[in-house]
Amino acid sequence: MNEEKISTTNLSLYYGTNQALKNVSIDITEKKITALIGPSGCGKSTFLRTLNRLNDTIDNVRIEGKVRIDGIDIYDKRVDVVSLRRRVGMIFQKSNPFPKSVYENIAYGPRINGITSKKELDVIVESNCIRAAIWDEVKDRLNESATGLSGGQQQRVCIARALAVDPEILLMDEPASALDPISTAKIEELMFDLKKNLTIVIVTHNMQQAARVSDKCAFFLSGEIVEYSKTSSMFTTPEKTETQNYISGRFG
Amino acid sequence: MLHYLEEELEKLKEKIIKMGSLVEEQIDFSFKALFDGNLELAQTVINRDDEVDKFDIRIDKHCQRIFALTQPVAFDLRLIMSSLMINSDLERMGDISVNIAERVKVLQDQTELLMKMRVNEMAMKVRKIVKMSIDCFVNGDAELAKNVINFDEEIDNLDRTIFGLLTEEMKLNSELIVPCCHILALVRNIERLSDHSTNIAEDVIFLIDAKMVKHSKDPDNLKPKD
Repeated sequence: MNEEKISTTNLSLYYGTNQALKNVSIDITEKKITALIGPSGCGKSTFLRTLNRLNDTIDNVRIEGKVRIDGIDIYDKRVDVVSLRRRVGMIFQKSNPFPKSVYENIAYGPRINGITSKKELDVIVESNCIRAAIWDEVKDRLNESATGLSGGQQQRVCIARALAVDPEILLMDEPASALDPISTAKIEELMFDLKKNLTIVIVTHNMQQAARVSDKCAFFLSGEIVEYSKTSSMFTTPEKTETQNYISGRFG
Repeated sequence: MLHYLEEELEKLKEKIIKMGSLVEEQIDFSFKALFDGNLELAQTVINRDDEVDKFDIRIDKHCQRIFALTQPVAFDLRLIMSSLMINSDLERMGDISVNIAERVKVLQDQTELLMKMRVNEMAMKVRKIVKMSIDCFVNGDAELAKNVINFDEEIDNLDRTIFGLLTEEMKLNSELIVPCCHILALVRNIERLSDHSTNIAEDVIFLIDAKMVKHSKDPDNLKPKD
């Protein structure tokens, strides 16, 4: 418990000649919520996407350094990216349900992973809707299109869909920035429940959200980590002036 | 939002400084009334306590408003927290100056005894520590705050000396028991002013150095720089 789940060493990422990440070394603790904060363009989302190799799909991207999950280099040629992304789920800023029913959205992952039994899929759909705190709202609408749900409900369906393949890590890129305060609170409560079994890394522009939900916080600036500490320390006694200025809204 | 926060914090700091000046003046007046036997000035101190109380509430409400509207963090958060704590100490110091003023009547004819019991010396030291504590907040001076905490010990020592002088005087002159009892209570009040000044100094260290030194037994925390 509380050991490092993800570890990056001198991680640098280039978009062509533009260096977006500069020698980022960080250990992310298992079953904790780690928030990545920093002004737009500081590299936090780019960093998040390196953790399940989503940057692989972008042309002209070059990565140096290491990203290890459970001690294994995920950029090693022998690593199967599909299997990696099953272990490392991703939730985006804008909810992106498939244009299918709620049920099919959640059953999609298990199905492509070889589960065909209807009974088994029913159990997976129900249990992950419960885990994502959406079951009561969709149990009678499982066959309706997921795109007809509210924004907050769609986002939780996406979380249920990510959870359905039983990931160990959940990456969240501003998961509540498009949601109202009630839906945001539901997502945050859900994160607290999920961290009992999952390691969560969240990118957020909302300082209060980072302060509320995360155990540790990394402040990125110009592709580098300026400060990485316990959230309670960062928001009461930040070590660096840049951190103090950013979290108090003095720049960024 | 940032501009608003900075403006509000500046206004809050100004209010604390005004509250500090008001309370410092109340303390000065109460001592002057005591040593001059000036009942009119004592009454002024008593009457002005309402003003101190109103200021106290204004500062509390201001802090509440900033918390609610800006969700401050780091230094800003510590500034508001320390302002609340300092305000509370200043308000108590205002009450104590009233307590001192209320004793002027019974001690009006005891100026000589007050001198003999070194109460004037105690009052001078306390005026100095009160001023130092307010100065360290105004200037954000954590080193001066450490000096305040150390100076409090000197005042505590004098308090103990005065206690000895008073008990000795009461043993020798039974007719002075009543005024000596009043002086005993008075000196306790004056000593409390020093304790509140120490609290303010601790709050300034919390504000500037982000260290909680209250209840601290660690002398390193309080060691002043050479």
